[in-house]
Amino acid sequence: MNILVFIKQVADTEARIIVSSDHKALEIENKYAVNFFDEFAVEEAIKIKETHKDAEITVCTYGPARATEALKTTIAMGADRAFLIDSANTEADDPLVVSGYLAGFAAREKFDIILCGRQAIDDENASVGAMTAELLGIPHVSMVTKLDVIDGTGVRVQSEIEGARKISEVALPALFTTQKGLNEPRVPLITGVMKAMKTQIPVIDPASIDTPFGPATGGASKIKVLSYESPAQRPAVRIIEGQTPVEKAKNLVKSLKEEAKVL
Amino acid sequence: MTRDIFVFVEYRDSTVRKASLELLSRGRQMAGKFSSSLCAVLMGSGVKELAQTLKGFADKIIFTDSEELKDYGWDTYGSALEQILKKYDPMIVLGTSSMIGKDLFPRIAARMRATMISDAVGMDFHEEGVKVKKPLFGGKVVSWLAPDAASMSFITFRPNSFAVETADAQGEIMEEGLTIEKDPRMKTVSLEKSGSKKVDLQEADFIICGGRGMKGPEHFDALEEIAGLMGGRVGASRTVVDSKWREYDDQIGKSGKTVSPKLYIGCGISGALHHIMGMDTSKVIVAINKDPNAPIFQYADYGIVDDLFQVLPALKEELKNTREET
Ligand SMILES: Cc1cc2nc3c(=O)[nH]c(=O)nc-3n(C[C@H](O)[C@H](O)[C@H](O)COP(=O)(O)OP(=O)(O)OC[C@H]3O[C@@H](n4cnc5c(N)ncnc54)[C@H](O)[C@@H]3O)c2cc1C
Ligand SMILES: Nc1ncnc2c1ncn2[C@@H]1O[C@H](COP(=O)(O)O)[C@@H](O)[C@H]1O
Repeated sequence: MNILVFIKQVADTEARIIVSSDHKALEIENKYAVNFFDEFAVEEAIKIKETHKDAEITVCTYGPARATEALKTTIAMGADRAFLIDSANTEADDPLVVSGYLAGFAAREKFDIILCGRQAIDDENASVGAMTAELLGIPHVSMVTKLDVIDGTGVRVQSEIEGARKISEVALPALFTTQKGLNEPRVPLITGVMKAMKTQIPVIDPASIDTPFGPATGGASKIKVLSYESPAQRPAVRIIEGQTPVEKAKNLVKSLKEEAKVL
Repeated sequence: MTRDIFVFVEYRDSTVRKASLELLSRGRQMAGKFSSSLCAVLMGSGVKELAQTLKGFADKIIFTDSEELKDYGWDTYGSALEQILKKYDPMIVLGTSSMIGKDLFPRIAARMRATMISDAVGMDFHEEGVKVKKPLFGGKVVSWLAPDAASMSFITFRPNSFAVETADAQGEIMEEGLTIEKDPRMKTVSLEKSGSKKVDLQEADFIICGGRGMKGPEHFDALEEIAGLMGGRVGASRTVVDSKWREYDDQIGKSGKTVSPKLYIGCGISGALHHIMGMDTSKVIVAINKDPNAPIFQYADYGIVDDLFQVLPALKEELKNTREET
């Protein structure tokens, strides 16, 4: 069984991000990590491998050279091999372009199960999973919280949908996006870290990938970034005065009603 | 005449979701500017009457009614949507970044080779087309993005991004009889509806959120009472969810839901960045915390520094009184 995991290296939530003075670029502090939701995808792949001995886990990202670090983290966790599709530092603002490369990569590798995160915590698109599945012409299930391989040909998954919990059976090959609750991602052991340090990560030239749109140039971004802004600063907090908690509650409701006009 | 603006309409318990009405309201202004028509797209089983309720909001209401569309699936709903889009070739398709929006829109956008922008919070005009406001990095940055005006664009928005404006259009109701294709590779084994009549957390106008300072699951009843009073919802911090005091469905923050209610009240929440990222687009933020140095006060509009167990009963009474006055 071949398991393919797509991961993205993203700015850590703690990283400082500064908008350039011309509002055209971002300066991101050099703190990066494997996307929070992608860790569930890697962990699930390893769990499948633990019960299906013939399984092989391939991890792939479309990103800049620094993303090699994130791929090494997944090797340290237990993935077998990892590939970097070199984005040559171009920002991937268009999820369809990213999905095109990932689908192109998947199509030339053999795979039964593709796992990816529910969403990247930097762009928060939640698009790449379903898009890649569509481009590959395979079914997908979003936000999976339980996954069991029934036999070599199908998977039973539990997923979250609006106001309901759904259990479905899906024929392989298929793609699943992972949601919190699926598992507890492991912390790499020192032996894993050693192995990762020695692993060479092959770099793929995106121009060599046949995307569903033809050669790479066919998939130019159709989304233009006009500007970046810092979020509007909220005015300083108004601490509500009062002698007693009751008085404070009273004054708060008064302010919410008369000043903020939200009641 | 330019190509249409489409709104994919979602509903729950035979009521159109507020988020969809927001999109129809904003879509109407866009359609006016582009001199295109605004079209609501509705699909499901037994939605004929629901289509009638949209009459005032759009120029056209295209609906498709089929037993195959009783429960949502990207394969069946996608099959219907694809056929409608191919027939009408709209300029823009607006949707909500709900679970359905997040599942269906990217799948069909890829099929149509359309441009897709998701989880946006605002929209304006730009040259021949539109520009879209989208927070990045959990709200640390706001970006303005322009989808290519020549291709079809799919855009999803967070609930509470726009005001609902009642319109008095006399929309033409059009039924599309379609052959719905189901993907034979997908089989639903069971569908367990939570049966809760509560408003969706992301759509709630009022959220009262409890953190570790609530001390235990039993104290959340006080929050439920206030939420009930206000027609809103109770939210929770991750610490609370991890301690199993509340369901994951209630979690607000980076690894939970992103909400932007009119009023958010945080009780016993410290204001860790991971939590703030899920709620800082709220219109008004109130924090109740006994620690005057709690970081949440850096983000709040109003703060009460006191023991929440003393404040909550009084707050409930006060809110009840204002409710009764109005
Ligand atoms: C990758 C990652 C993702 C995360 N995602 C999320 C997320 O999605 N959502 C989220 O919420 N967190 C998330 N977190 C966790 C987050 O960093 C914080 O740990 C968490 O939000 C803290 O929860 P809290 O405010 O309830 O608890 P605490 O930080 O313990 O704060 C409790 C507060 O209650 C106050 N208090 C105590 N007693 C009283 C009283 N009687 N009256 C008034 N005030 C009182 C205290 O002064 C304190 O400020 C994430 C963390 C990581 C690492
Ligand atoms: N550049 C990328 N390379 C590899 N996987 C990606 C990339 N971008 C997104 N993904 C995967 O798709 C998921 C959803 O991402 P997004 O649509 O950007 O929110 C992520 O959790 C990753 O698993």
